[in-house]
Amino acid sequence: MSVVVQPLPEVNPLQDPLRFSRRVPPCAIVIFGASGDLSKRKLLPSLYRLFYERRISPSFAVVGSSRTPMSDDEFRHRMADSVSKFLEDAPFDKEVWDSFAQCLFYVPGDLTNPDSYDDLRKKLDEIEKSHQTAGNVLFYLSTQPSHYAEAILELGAHGLNRGNGWRRVIIEKPFGHDLLSARKLNDEIHKVFLESDVYRIDHYLGKETVQNILAFRFGNGIFEPLWNRRYVDNVQITAAESIGVEGRGGYYQEAGALRDMIQNHLSQVMATVAMEPPTIFDATNVRDERAKLLRAVRVVKSEDVPKYAVAGQYGPAKVGGEDLPGFRQEPSVNPQAQTDTYAAVTFFIDNWRWADVPFYIRTGKRLPKRVTDIAIQFKAPPLGLFTQETKGGLRAARPNLLVLRIQPEEGISLRFLSKSPGSGMRVRPVSMDFNYGSSFGERTPTAYETLLVDAMSGDPTLYTRQDMVEASWQIVQPILDVWANTKFDFPNYAAGTWGPKASDEMLARQGHVWRIP
Amino acid sequence: MSSAVIFPAQPENILKGLGKLWTSLGQEEKQQGKPTVLRACAMTLIVATDEPDSGFAASQTISELMHAHPARGIVLAVSPDAEKSLEARVLAQCWKPFGKAQQICCEQIEITARPQSWPNVGPTLVGLTVADLPVIFWCRHKGALRQAATKEEHAGLEAITSLATKIVIDAHDMPASDTVTLIERWQARGRVIADLEWTRLTPWREPLAHLFDVCECKLSDFHSIDIEYTDERPSMAALYLAGWLSLYRPKVSFRRVGGYLPGVHRVTLHSDSKTIDFARTGPDSAVLHSASGRECTYNFGEPAVTALMTEELALMGVDPAFNAAFARVRELLPDTP
Repeated sequence: MSVVVQPLPEVNPLQDPLRFSRRVPPCAIVIFGASGDLSKRKLLPSLYRLFYERRISPSFAVVGSSRTPMSDDEFRHRMADSVSKFLEDAPFDKEVWDSFAQCLFYVPGDLTNPDSYDDLRKKLDEIEKSHQTAGNVLFYLSTQPSHYAEAILELGAHGLNRGNGWRRVIIEKPFGHDLLSARKLNDEIHKVFLESDVYRIDHYLGKETVQNILAFRFGNGIFEPLWNRRYVDNVQITAAESIGVEGRGGYYQEAGALRDMIQNHLSQVMATVAMEPPTIFDATNVRDERAKLLRAVRVVKSEDVPKYAVAGQYGPAKVGGEDLPGFRQEPSVNPQAQTDTYAAVTFFIDNWRWADVPFYIRTGKRLPKRVTDIAIQFKAPPLGLFTQETKGGLRAARPNLLVLRIQPEEGISLRFLSKSPGSGMRVRPVSMDFNYGSSFGERTPTAYETLLVDAMSGDPTLYTRQDMVEASWQIVQPILDVWANTKFDFPNYAAGTWGPKASDEMLARQGHVWRIP
Repeated sequence: MSSAVIFPAQPENILKGLGKLWTSLGQEEKQQGKPTVLRACAMTLIVATDEPDSGFAASQTISELMHAHPARGIVLAVSPDAEKSLEARVLAQCWKPFGKAQQICCEQIEITARPQSWPNVGPTLVGLTVADLPVIFWCRHKGALRQAATKEEHAGLEAITSLATKIVIDAHDMPASDTVTLIERWQARGRVIADLEWTRLTPWREPLAHLFDVCECKLSDFHSIDIEYTDERPSMAALYLAGWLSLYRPKVSFRRVGGYLPGVHRVTLHSDSKTIDFARTGPDSAVLHSASGRECTYNFGEPAVTALMTEELALMGVDPAFNAAFARVRELLPDTP
C-alpha cells in the first residue's frame, strides 16, 4: 500500500519552514453533520484557531451540511456563537472571525437524499472559483456512524470523489461496531475512495504527548535498548475518567468501555508504545509498524476471557459530599443495563521483543480522577542489595518505573533509587521529571488542529489505516463475544474507586498490582 | 528568593551561591516529603543591558521567557552608576503552573559592572554557562552595540559573542547602516545572528508567502514593490521586508506615512495585471488583499519583546531566510531615503 501525497503546485520561494507553520494547500472542507456537537465544540473552533494563527491557506473554505435548513449567514452566526464558547486557550477576535466567516458556507441537505449532493457539487464548483481552492476537497463525516457508508456511496455516485484536485475523506470513530461490520464498512468505502484518501481519525493519536512517545523512543538512544522483555516487567496503560456518562447514556450503553476506548484509542496507544522503530519516519512506515504490532497481539481464546479481561460497572456512591448516581440510574440508561463502564484487559504481544510481558490496559468512568498514562515497570536488579524505607518499615527496594503522562499533567517521569542522606545505605525512590508544559511553555495545538492540518496536507501518519482498525477489532472481538453472552452481577464497583476487585485479582495472578496514578 | 551580593564576582563564588539557593529550595521539599520544586534549564541566556534600571527590565523579561524557554538567565547590567566594579547576586525565578502542586524554578544570576570592567566580564561568564546546552547572547546594551558597529573591536562584547551559539540584537533604534556593518562583521566571524526587527516581520511574511502557494500567483511576475513605513527613516524591518521580497530584483520604493505603529505600515506588490496589498488597518489588525481581489483580516498588534524572543529562542541554528534577506538589504541600502 502506498500513500500519495500530492505536491504543491510550485516551489514557493517565500516559504520559510523554520518560522512559518507547515504549508497547508488550498482546499475546501465539507463537514457533514455541521450542526452537531463535534462541529460546534471541536471542528470549527480548531479551524478558526488555525486561521487565527495564519496556518491555513487564504484559499480555503468550509462548507457545512446538515438537515437543518439555514442560510450561509445563519450558519456563520451559529458558528460564531459556538466558536466563542468552545475555543480553548485562545482569544475570540471579532475582526478575524469576520474574515474567517467569509470562508464559511452552508448547504442544507439530507445524507439520504441524492439531490443534496447535487447542491453540494454546485456550491463546491462556485467556491473553487471564488476562493481558489484548486479543486481540493476534504470531506469530514461527522454524522451518525450508521450513515457513513451511504454518504460515501452517494459521494461516489455524484462524482464528488474526483475533481480538479485531490479528494479525501475523514471518518470519525467508531469504525464499525465489531470486526465484521468494520470490514463491511471498509469494503463500502473502498468502492469510492482509495485507502490512501481515507483518514480514520483517532484523536488520541493527535495528542502532542502521544506523538511525543515516538520522539522519546526513537529520538533518544538510551531507552530503546531497555525497551524489551529483558528489562521490562510489565506495562500498565490507564485511561481513567472521573465523570460519568454525562448525558450520553443512550449511546454509551450500546458501546461500553471496551468498544469506546480500548478497541481504538488505547490499542493505538499500546501500538505506539510497543511498535518496532520504523526505518523512515513517514506515514507508510510508521503505520506499517503500528499495524504489525497490533497483528502480533495474542487473540485470547473464549475460555480464557474471564482470566484476561474484567468488566465493571459503577454503582452509586457519595463522593466529596455529593451523591453520585450509579450507571443504571443515569438518564436514558436501562436500569438492567449490562454495559461495561470499566474494562481491564491483559494483552500479550507475541513477538521477540515482548513475549510474555503483560500489557495491562484499563479504562473506566467514575474513577477517582481523570488521568491517562502509560507506566513501564522495569524489572528489579538481579540482586537486591538495598532496602527502602517505607511507612511499614524496611522492604526490598522498588524497581525503576517510567511513566509517560498523556493527560492532564503531560510529561515523563523516571523513578529511580537514591541513597537517603545520612549514615547507612538506605535508599528511597526519587523522580526525575520532564513536564511538557513547563519545558515548552507555549500553547500546544489541540488534537483536532493537528489532525485537520495533517489531513489537509496529505499526511496520514496519525490516522488509522484499514488493517490497523481490523487488527484492533480482532483482539477485542473474543472478549466482546463472551461478554455479550455473560450476565454480570453489576454494579461491581462504587463510583470514585479504582474499579472492581476482579481487576486487582487479574494482576495478582501475574504477581503484579495496579499502580495508583 | 535571592542571595546577598557576591563580591568578588568570580564564577566559583557565584556557583556556590547557586548551590546554596537550591539547597534552601529543597528544604521545603524535605518538609513536605514530596517533590515541590522542579529545576528546569534548557540553555544559558545572557542578557547585556545598559538600561538605567540596573537590569530590572531585563530580569522581568527573562522571568517571562522562562515559561517557554527555561534557562540559566544571566543579566549583565553594565553602567557607570554601578556601585562596584563587578558584583553579582543569584536568585531563583519560580512559578507554579495553574492547578499544579509543583513549582518550576529557573536560576538567574545578576551581574552589575562598571564599563571599565568589560574585559573581566567575558572570563566570568565562561565559568557560568551551563555545560552542553546552547548559549544565547541577547545584547540590549546600546552603547556596546554602537561601539561595536562603529569601531573595529569591543573587546568585552567580543568575548561574550565568542561564547554564544546565537546572538540576538534589536536594530529598531539603530541606524540601518550601523546595523548592517555590525551584522556583516559578526557574520564574517561565523556568528549566528538574529535581529528582532526581522522577527517582527513574521506576521507580515507568512500570509504574503501563502499567496504564492497558488500556482496562478508567481513572485517573478511582480516587478515593483512599494513599502510604507512610519518611522523617520526606513527601519531595518522595512529593509528586511524589501530584501525578502526582492528575489527577482523588482523595483523597490519606500515612502514615509503616518500610521498606527512604528515600523512597516503597508506593502504593495505590482505585476502587469495584479496587485497584492497588505496594510495595517489599526493598531491590532491588518488586511491582505490578494491578487484575486479577496480580502483577509489578520490580527497582529505590536509584538511584545517577550513574544519576539520566544520565537527566536525556538530557533538555534542559521536562519537561511534571514541571511538571504540581509544580503539583499546591503544592496538596497544606498537607495533608501
